[in-house]
Amino acid sequence: MNFLGYERPDGSVGIRNLTLVISVADCSEPVARMIAEGQKCAVAITQHYGCIPGQMVANTLIGVGENPNVAAILLIGMGCEGMPAHALAKMIKRSGKPVEWITIQDLGGTRNAVTKGKEILRDLCEKVAGLKRREFDVSELIVGVKCGGSDTSSGLAGNPAVGVFVDMLVDAGGSAIMMEPIEAVGAEEPLGARAVNNRVREKIYKMIGDEEKRWSVPGAQMEFMCKGNVEGGLTTIEEKSLGAIHKSGSRTIKDVLENTDRRLEKVPKGGGLYLQDGTHMEPMAMSFMAAAGAHMVIFVTGCGGTFGHAIIPFIKVTGNPETYRRMSQDMDVNASTILTGDESMESVGKRIFNEVIEVASGKLTLGERLGYDNFSVFRQDPRLEVLLGIDK
Amino acid sequence: MMNSKDNVATALEELEAGVPATVILPSQAEFKEVTPGKTIATGHKLAVKQISKGDQVVKYGEVIGNATQNIRLGDHVHVHNVMSNRMQMPEVWYREED
Repeated sequence: MNFLGYERPDGSVGIRNLTLVISVADCSEPVARMIAEGQKCAVAITQHYGCIPGQMVANTLIGVGENPNVAAILLIGMGCEGMPAHALAKMIKRSGKPVEWITIQDLGGTRNAVTKGKEILRDLCEKVAGLKRREFDVSELIVGVKCGGSDTSSGLAGNPAVGVFVDMLVDAGGSAIMMEPIEAVGAEEPLGARAVNNRVREKIYKMIGDEEKRWSVPGAQMEFMCKGNVEGGLTTIEEKSLGAIHKSGSRTIKDVLENTDRRLEKVPKGGGLYLQDGTHMEPMAMSFMAAAGAHMVIFVTGCGGTFGHAIIPFIKVTGNPETYRRMSQDMDVNASTILTGDESMESVGKRIFNEVIEVASGKLTLGERLGYDNFSVFRQDPRLEVLLGIDK
Repeated sequence: MMNSKDNVATALEELEAGVPATVILPSQAEFKEVTPGKTIATGHKLAVKQISKGDQVVKYGEVIGNATQNIRLGDHVHVHNVMSNRMQMPEVWYREED
């Protein structure tokens, strides 16, 4: 099966043709927004860990710039950052895409930076506007799976239906990644049993064990399940995890992708199912998956989460009939037909597969049509890692 | 019920107290009838077997926690009578149930 995508200079294939305006720190975010305003081709993003955010944040921004949905990049800096715009530009340029950078200080202030930035952005957008979609095999696709605002319908319908889709994608030669380091606590055995070898099995146990350490520090009040989870009937983290892992389907887990200060490992070529280390918090997890090369994310929700992402489309699936009825304006796929007995799991999985092909070929998701452009990044605190004795 | 080893089932619609409900297996085969002691909200669990204090609570054929009190057939099974073996949530208002 084929989809229509954009070929990038490094041979990767994008499903969107965005020009990304990256403010390297939140201090210059307003300038990035002013530059991107009114330019349909562009989207502005930033990160909120200050101007010396550390290597993990740098890895994420570089990876997002390298993502094949991005055609061209303009980086905006203040000029005095610890993580300068030119350094990120140099790294992203390795992808062969057009990359430019400016700083507000070099250009003599805000108005000058906005004027110059708009000029550069227009040029970048023109440069990539002529790119045309052409056919590529589905094996080029990398799809992330995530759930959030889960209730018991997620484990019974939404997640297993996405699991059917993941099996179909992997069998067709495509790639899938799941990021749920904490929502795997209690589900180590079924996940570990699917590891390709012992080394990967140990990596799965370590990833989950490390996350458990971070979220169960004696004396610290840490909430890791939301109000909606508990009101929706989920009792323990084990129950939530055992439901959450269904969305990874049943195929062999080829590896756990490293995501540390040292490196953010990309999804390798060749297809297959991978776990990625990171965080369970959705918008941040999506940025990690985008940085690893994901084209889009399938999001399963019970209570009805409504968000999106600046560079990767976000297909929302709900298994809860009441949520679909109340929020159909936000839900791309209705999987609640499984619980009402109207449709089989396999049939819903196939519908998700078809939706993925259409969205890959340019169909806008409901979130994209509504203008959702969430972007946030996550940083592990290096001090906590040391204090908890988590070795990398 | 998600697995024949389970001792809980999930309500696909609100179950009225005292009205027998049919418990089905993933194959759609009927497992048994259970009468809930109290109203069970959609998506919440009820016991399909007796579960003694300290026993494992099983869903998807896997352990999701242990009973903190004796649970009778048809009882609501949730945070008030089950505890995780791995990570505990802090005491906040929405855990003060039943």
